Amino acid sequence: MNWERLLKIDRRVIFLTMALAIILPLLFPIRLTMGVQRVTRNLFQAVEAIDPARQCLLISTDYTPQTEPENHPMAKALMRHGFARRVPVLVNALYVEGAPLIDQAITEVMGDFNARATSREDSILYGRDIVYLGWQPPPIVPILAMGESITGIYPDDYYGNRTDSLEVMRRIRNYADVGIVVAITPLSSPLWYVQFAQTKYGVKVGAGCTAVCAPDFYPYCATGQLSGMMAGMKGAAEYEELVEQKYRTGGRLKATEGMASQSAAHVLIMVFVILGNVAYFAMRRKS
Amino acid sequence: MKDKLPLILLIVVGFMGLTDRFLPHPAPEHLNQYMRDTLLRIISAFALILGLGNLILRHMNRIRKKSTDWPHSYTLLISFFVASVIGLFGGVAGELWFPTRVGTFDFNITTIYNQMLIPLGASMFSLLAFYMASAAYRSFRARNWLAILLLGSAFIVMLGQVPIGYRISPAIPEISQWIMEVPNTAAKRGIELGITLGVLATFLKILSGIERSWLGSGR
Amino acid sequence: MNLSTDIWVWVGVFLTFCIYSFLYRDNPFYKFGEHLFVGVSNAFTLSFMVHRIIIPILVRPFTEAWRTAGSEGLSAGLFNPYAPSNFLVIIPGVIGCFYFARFIPGLTWLVRIPIALFMGYYVGRSVPAYLEGSVFPQMRGTMLTQASFDPAQGGILGGIFALLVLVGVIGTLTYFFFSKEHKGVVKWGAQTGIVFVMVGFGASFGFTVMARVSLAIGRFIFILRDALGIVT
Repeated sequence: MNWERLLKIDRRVIFLTMALAIILPLLFPIRLTMGVQRVTRNLFQAVEAIDPARQCLLISTDYTPQTEPENHPMAKALMRHGFARRVPVLVNALYVEGAPLIDQAITEVMGDFNARATSREDSILYGRDIVYLGWQPPPIVPILAMGESITGIYPDDYYGNRTDSLEVMRRIRNYADVGIVVAITPLSSPLWYVQFAQTKYGVKVGAGCTAVCAPDFYPYCATGQLSGMMAGMKGAAEYEELVEQKYRTGGRLKATEGMASQSAAHVLIMVFVILGNVAYFAMRRKS
Repeated sequence: MKDKLPLILLIVVGFMGLTDRFLPHPAPEHLNQYMRDTLLRIISAFALILGLGNLILRHMNRIRKKSTDWPHSYTLLISFFVASVIGLFGGVAGELWFPTRVGTFDFNITTIYNQMLIPLGASMFSLLAFYMASAAYRSFRARNWLAILLLGSAFIVMLGQVPIGYRISPAIPEISQWIMEVPNTAAKRGIELGITLGVLATFLKILSGIERSWLGSGR
Repeated sequence: MNLSTDIWVWVGVFLTFCIYSFLYRDNPFYKFGEHLFVGVSNAFTLSFMVHRIIIPILVRPFTEAWRTAGSEGLSAGLFNPYAPSNFLVIIPGVIGCFYFARFIPGLTWLVRIPIALFMGYYVGRSVPAYLEGSVFPQMRGTMLTQASFDPAQGGILGGIFALLVLVGVIGTLTYFFFSKEHKGVVKWGAQTGIVFVMVGFGASFGFTVMARVSLAIGRFIFILRDALGIVT
């Protein structure tokens, strides 16, 4: 076998193989059973523990279009969970680049719920069940200020309504009324919430992070500073599954859809590593 | 004056932040609140505008000097000015006087964001998936036992994170989870502690006026 | 197949291919996409910054104070920085404008004032926050106590894992401790540390692969579902 030729294969062949590994499982979908990681289950349970009568779920988003495929399903899965339990959901954006994305997510999830609603009580109403607080810079400002007054730092919501005129905001004042803050991010914002908000106001914090930053958050999950975590697209898929199993909320489970492709791509990369090593050592032995 | 005034301001404001938790008096609390809610927000807005100014100047220079890829600077400048006019005078959702709709075709700044920035941004980051595959093939060599350890851990985690790993054996996700919770936690905690202590030392040097590189050369 | 009739979807597809064309080689389409991204994203940020921050926090309080002063005359309330409309809001505005002093010869030093305020606030706040939020709890989490062997924490096995974490943290810190030559006990500590570091980096690599592949999956779902309508 010509190992040298194999090692010097055109990189575009590798790119094409990778593209096929992603596309084929999307064209011919197969349903694969997933195990649920402890950290995801812990986050689910922390949201389950919110008292809908006096607390809310705060989803803090700071992702941008660049990580939309990983982070967007997390935000939607959390909203579904909150809506299914009738826990009021507040959403804010720490970076402007993500602000319209969250609007999309809210519209989609509200649409899914309202399409099945039969009465006003069943429906998800803006101002009663969800509020999109919008964006205020720099991130440290809203993180600290929400400990004193949420409507103070977000006087107007994303759509320009006065927040103090919205029904749910009359009883949600600050972190004392927040069951858990889940920071969805490709950065370190869950740690900012831990360092600046949890230490001062004692609020519970969870994370929904891209897989790249997940390994850095495990030490914080171990100490209980993070109540739980969704790690990457797999974490989002697990959360989607947990919500779907318990509440049958329906809607598109975007992270779950991608799991077969994810499996194929991971296997392919492992094959590449093995093949590359076999060729390298065979060549070295020959020379 | 040119060095001392900013330095004094930094030290005063810094110590206000430091002592915030120990001075529950309304006066420092109000001052802190004003700094945070008004001053910082407005200052950060101007910082962004300064950044934009620099970007525009840089690309205008590129065009003037006809540097490498200078025609693309026109793409940047034209797209920036057109989208800025749409955003500034049309409003973030097309609510102001500048028309952002022709028939059913919407082109307000939020639509432009959704339809242009999302594909561009997400595609740019996803390119890395392909380059990682190429790097995996060409560069990851099990040359010594530490590299074998790295690759072994990577393989288990990669398999444990996808459903196929569970299909092969439910033990794989369990081992992957153990790797994340024990050796990974230990390594990341050690690294994190080292970084945080280093950052804290730098912060204290800044606060005590020892570290002054942030003042720049003053030119 | 159910092709999209939305022109914006096809714009998205075109831009996706512009960026993906880089996989073949660097080319003008990629450069076009790259520059378009920078231009449009900055315009977007500027628009939001003006409409959501500068107008409501700076311009509106000032113009409202002006209007009030015009109709009711000047009052002390208009100089109260905590009032919703006041003249003093001009001070942060002026400090913000100091950023542009870097373009004015002789006044460049003024740029240090907003930087000093911002940095001072952030640094001052961060010191106790980092200590309380990271250093102390993480050190506490590393300590091996009787509670580590608690049946609720996994019993003896849990205790052994906690011991491993303790050894790993000390080893990692030793490995990155360069003030002392890695000889004798320090060498052993560092070698133990590198084992944990390598396993940790391997895990990070696995997770990074997962992250990047997820992003590519997102793009292909967009092309196959939203544009071509091949998958549902």
